[in-house]
Amino acid sequence: MRLSIVNVSKTFPSVKALDDVSMEFAPGEVHALMGENGAGKSTLLKIVTGLYRPDAGLLKLDGELVEFFSPRDALAAGIGAVHQERNLVPRFSVGENILLEHPPGRRGFIDYGAIYDRARVLLELLDPGIDVRAEVATLSVAQMQIVEIAKALSLNARVLLLDEPTASITDHEAEALFKVIARLKAEGVAIVFVSHKLDEVLTISDRVTVLRDGRVMASGEAIAEMSRRRLVSLMIGREERIADVAGGAKQGKVALELREIATSYGHSGINLRLHEAEILGLYGLVGAGRSELARSIIGDGRITGGAICVGDRPARIRNPNEALRRHRIGYVSEDRKGEGLVLSHSIVSNIAVTIWRRIATRLWLIPPVVERNAVTPQVQRLAIKSFSLDQTVDTLSGGNQQKVSLAKWLAAKTDILLIDEPTVGIDIKTKVELHELIAQIARDGAAVLLISSDMAEMITLADRILVMHNFAVVGEFVNDRIYENGSEAIMSAIHAAEKDRKHLHDRAAIA
Amino acid sequence: MIGFRKFASQEWAGLAAIFVLGSALAAFLSPSFLTEYNIYVMLRSASVELLVAFSQMIVLAIGQMNLAVGALGGLVAVLFGAMLQLLGLPLPLAILIALLIGIVGGFINGLLTTRTGINGFIITLATGSAFTGINLGLTESRPFHGIPVEFVALGDSRWSFVPALLWPPLIVAPLLAIFLYRTKSGRKLLAVGGNMRAAELSGISANAMIIVAHAISGGLAGLAAVLAVSQLGAAQPEIGSTWLLISFAGPIIGGTALAGGYVSILGAMLAVLVIALIENMLVLMKVDPYWVRFALGGLVLVTVGVNRWRAHQMGRN
Repeated sequence: MRLSIVNVSKTFPSVKALDDVSMEFAPGEVHALMGENGAGKSTLLKIVTGLYRPDAGLLKLDGELVEFFSPRDALAAGIGAVHQERNLVPRFSVGENILLEHPPGRRGFIDYGAIYDRARVLLELLDPGIDVRAEVATLSVAQMQIVEIAKALSLNARVLLLDEPTASITDHEAEALFKVIARLKAEGVAIVFVSHKLDEVLTISDRVTVLRDGRVMASGEAIAEMSRRRLVSLMIGREERIADVAGGAKQGKVALELREIATSYGHSGINLRLHEAEILGLYGLVGAGRSELARSIIGDGRITGGAICVGDRPARIRNPNEALRRHRIGYVSEDRKGEGLVLSHSIVSNIAVTIWRRIATRLWLIPPVVERNAVTPQVQRLAIKSFSLDQTVDTLSGGNQQKVSLAKWLAAKTDILLIDEPTVGIDIKTKVELHELIAQIARDGAAVLLISSDMAEMITLADRILVMHNFAVVGEFVNDRIYENGSEAIMSAIHAAEKDRKHLHDRAAIA
Repeated sequence: MIGFRKFASQEWAGLAAIFVLGSALAAFLSPSFLTEYNIYVMLRSASVELLVAFSQMIVLAIGQMNLAVGALGGLVAVLFGAMLQLLGLPLPLAILIALLIGIVGGFINGLLTTRTGINGFIITLATGSAFTGINLGLTESRPFHGIPVEFVALGDSRWSFVPALLWPPLIVAPLLAIFLYRTKSGRKLLAVGGNMRAAELSGISANAMIIVAHAISGGLAGLAAVLAVSQLGAAQPEIGSTWLLISFAGPIIGGTALAGGYVSILGAMLAVLVIALIENMLVLMKVDPYWVRFALGGLVLVTVGVNRWRAHQMGRN
């Protein structure tokens, strides 16, 4: 079955997620869909699976117009999906989960024997080691992933969407999956494969479509004619407008130092020095381990080796509270809605949360006037647009929400600020404002660790750039703020690391 | 040995052990415990409570709570009494209508929850108050005594130590088990409780399952009310007013997941029996009844704590 996406657009209150997007998934082909975070891949998948409705444009199956009002419609039309988030019922058996859509049985009764037989046939192809009678809650994450794939296969989908199916499984399991994909392809299934792993995409796909900022950068180009380098540049791209940030602030003493740090997330041998009044960029593709490193620094992840020094003293940071109170380190989460803000609370209380302790009176009361006065300068400095400080944060635009989540750390006056993807899904104008603000924070003396997948942003802001890949630092250079030089340095660091890894992988395969 | 390990890994195994050890202790402490009559009294009080626990359990299965179980029970009880005393309806017809009223009450809860999108906790808090209001408004807190003699006698009758009132919950329990574990509707209901998004993506209508769960809950509350009338010999407006704690304590001590998606019918039954046993022991030992409630509260806290510890241990392995 051929699935065509024709001129589809989708706008959310704060951002245009898809802008006149067209592409076509043909039967018997593996079609890779690539793009960085916020490029619009998820929105596109949600439209194709009936979770969202497009604002404009249409979907066609074998040339016929189709409309999906719910996931059931998409399933009925033969579009199956393995989503990124787990969609299993934990206390049900593996077999029952696989056949949840259409359990075999008669007159309303379930036939468990038939369930287990059919589930076993499906799992046979993927991982015969999984017991179809086992409760899903007892499986490993990788096994759950396999179960989800088996579940999609059970539907005999003619179009199969796989959203990062290999993100949490081993190479061995991935190999098995690729064999299944090859078989399905031979049977004429149209397979859409979303992945951030370049190797995989180049190995198993026939065509590739690249999205960036909701627009199609390359539509269904044959993978044979696509180089790794070109793919990376298409994904990363560059911004038109760049904030005017004068670099070269006077660098001070070392504020934060990591020596041979290893973490429970899988980092190893991480060395890093962050100076006062410096912006240190941490660049890497999605999944490189940057956010996880920041989280480990503030104690929201376990450090398993090496040493951290704050200032000139060794530090052991056990939780984010200690990071803030004792070491004056703040972390601006990339997930502002999930972790950065309490959406149903006012601007005032969202910003003041970090300083309640400081402004509380002896009776632990927080006088509203004091709170308001403490917050007002931050709101003015960031030019947060609102009717009133008591307005709830969920009524603000994405850009203003991001400003609020930054403002709370400015109010806390931390010495070290870890800022994670500050401008994802934010319009260009606010983006520039935020860039100028981050530069100002550093100029005022704070040490800033900036995590970003946006290369233009990185080259505009950072004084030095560390390149991360696969949970290790693979390159470091001083940023001269010239785009071509910076992007060249970053890409060659990533390519070199990829090549090394591939080399190692091949050697291991031979041995 | 393998048989024993399988037994010990069940959530209800601990409760079964507590029940056996507790009974032995009670028999040791009080000679009147192991009499036919005492056991009959204990089981009779457990009969209504079993149905009350099931009524809450089915709503917990979809990850919601039903605060209106007792209020709906009270309303069904007085309407049942009115049908018998004021309208003179034949007993079987009155029972049938009483159960239907329960189902309709639950259906209303489910419908309001799904239509408004408001949490069932709040909806049933409100409808519970409304049901009680209708109850007291109609009866002005006066009970209906015109209950047929044979129905009251049924509430007192027994075979050896087994009260006649125990049969309805004993019949309901396997029916519930078959529904939840063997039928498609039952599996869908549990799937919605276990992972609503996954269920919906699999083409299951979560709203329909939420309404079904509330309707069954209402029907079971109605059945509990009918039993309570038979047990007390009168349709008293206060029926149901003390059901709240037991309705949660039974399923939760029995291992039903508060988050939904998993129930243990046997666990809930054993939990109700353990609670009845503890109440019985305290009464035999002439402990002030107020302290019985204290002990019950403590028991809920301890078992929930133990279950959480167990889950944590299992997560480690």
